[in-house]
Amino acid sequence: MIASIFDLILTSPILQRALVASLFVAFIAATSGSFMVFRGLSFLTAGVAHAALAGAALGLLLQASGFAPWFSPVLGAVIFAVLMAVLTAYAGERGIAQKMEVAVGVAFALSMSIAVFLMYYLPPAMIPQIWGYLFGDLLLLDNLDIVLLAGTALSLILIVILFKKEFVYVSIDMEGSTAHGMSARGYHYLMIIVAAIAIALTAKAVGAVLVYAILVAPAAASNEVLKTVNGVIIGCFVLALLAMLIGLASSFAILASPSAIAGIVAALMYVAAIQVKRLRR
Amino acid sequence: MEGKHLTNHPHLIEAESLSVKYPNGELALEDVTFTTDASTFLAIIGPNGSGKTTLVKTMLGLLKPCSGSIKVLGYDAKREYNAIRRLVRYVPQRDHIQHNVPMKVKDIVLMGRLLKKSPPRFASDKDVDYARDALRRVDLEELWNQPFPELSGGQRQRVLVARALAGEGPILMLDEPMSGADHDSQVRIVDALHEYHEESQANIIMVTHDLNPIHIVVKDVLMLNRTVMGIGHPCEIMDTELVKQVYGPTAYIVELDGHKYCITHDSGIDDHDR
Repeated sequence: MIASIFDLILTSPILQRALVASLFVAFIAATSGSFMVFRGLSFLTAGVAHAALAGAALGLLLQASGFAPWFSPVLGAVIFAVLMAVLTAYAGERGIAQKMEVAVGVAFALSMSIAVFLMYYLPPAMIPQIWGYLFGDLLLLDNLDIVLLAGTALSLILIVILFKKEFVYVSIDMEGSTAHGMSARGYHYLMIIVAAIAIALTAKAVGAVLVYAILVAPAAASNEVLKTVNGVIIGCFVLALLAMLIGLASSFAILASPSAIAGIVAALMYVAAIQVKRLRR
Repeated sequence: MEGKHLTNHPHLIEAESLSVKYPNGELALEDVTFTTDASTFLAIIGPNGSGKTTLVKTMLGLLKPCSGSIKVLGYDAKREYNAIRRLVRYVPQRDHIQHNVPMKVKDIVLMGRLLKKSPPRFASDKDVDYARDALRRVDLEELWNQPFPELSGGQRQRVLVARALAGEGPILMLDEPMSGADHDSQVRIVDALHEYHEESQANIIMVTHDLNPIHIVVKDVLMLNRTVMGIGHPCEIMDTELVKQVYGPTAYIVELDGHKYCITHDSGIDDHDR
């Protein structure tokens, strides 16, 4: 049994890419997702993933119309994602989480509407590319996707190693951090913009559905039960990887989308974490 | 303990015709003019919405004056806020502290020192010693390794005061540090600040809606109600006519052990962010 699984992995480049991609997405979840949960901005992850969709649609339209052939869908996705993040960061600059939630909600609706609006004008042959941004599949990745994920994961790890304390301080006490002379505003924007770029690039590779399943639920679950910042980051990595591996494994057994299964597993992990926290009391 | 916090500038705060607006355009402070000498333990008091928090935030350069000026130890808050922030250790109102990051108590206290460093902000042995000493001052040394979000409201406020005590810089600014704290925690906060001020001569500026718990430890009191209503020693400010004018006709003064205390119907937490 075990031997036959290894045989399958060794002989299937598709499965190899899926496994490597899962590893990188788990790193992205641990480094980006954890800090979004600390900042009280898990909702931004879903919003930015949809903004990326609208940006990709705009990019495809500009290419298809011959208006700006150089404007690639990935560029559009990153620009829209960053715009949405900056808008939200601006609303939240005074450290009031409530206002950020409203800003994300409005921008979410706006970008989804723009995406649908633009899709109407796209040649039908390009529509599947848009759906790819939404429902991308771990089993349909090419080598470029892997490079994209690797680059994103490594950059995020580096930034978190450099600025972990600053990101945590901004999350706990933005006003106090500013008053003590730290440029909290700069770190606040850095943290949110970096997360937005990571979300847009990850959505390009594995689809927006997997992004908000894996970048939100494992971090939230981990933050419910673990009691140190590093613990939450590592816990998030483990849960995210586990959810994706379960998704891949069961997609063979029941012929389902691995992203969908991974999302369901991740959501159940969050429910389980809430129960664990309740039982502890 | 650390050496004495002495700066050459004689005045802690110099405000001249200072006016500041709320984001909605309404005036929060109007024509505020006063001077306080260093080193002092200053209480800023006044009813809800009287501009106490606005004044502190303006001193830190977090809010900009729409006219007039305010200086802190000689530095203009509008232009030289970076210099002021290097001198200040600040405790914001408690609802500005988020509790969904799993920080230990020691991490919060160390923040008071590490925020003044440059990245990567590693804690030295000296930083840890100062942080432990500060936590001892608020009598919570045994909570060093405990999760901060699991503490009671009063314990959290004490930890935040310890964060300020652990840091360096000649000015401590605390915005309602005793709100939401139980009686025991309030007493410990007052004692810790009083003891620290006596030892180090550091300036302490405390915003509070209730002067009574700190009446006998503060040196100066600034009473605000959108503008300066009074400034002076605690017993000078506790004047029947003045408190009725500021807090309404139900306010009155009682005398106890030679000190005057004000009794008002105003209690609870200020609504600063309206």
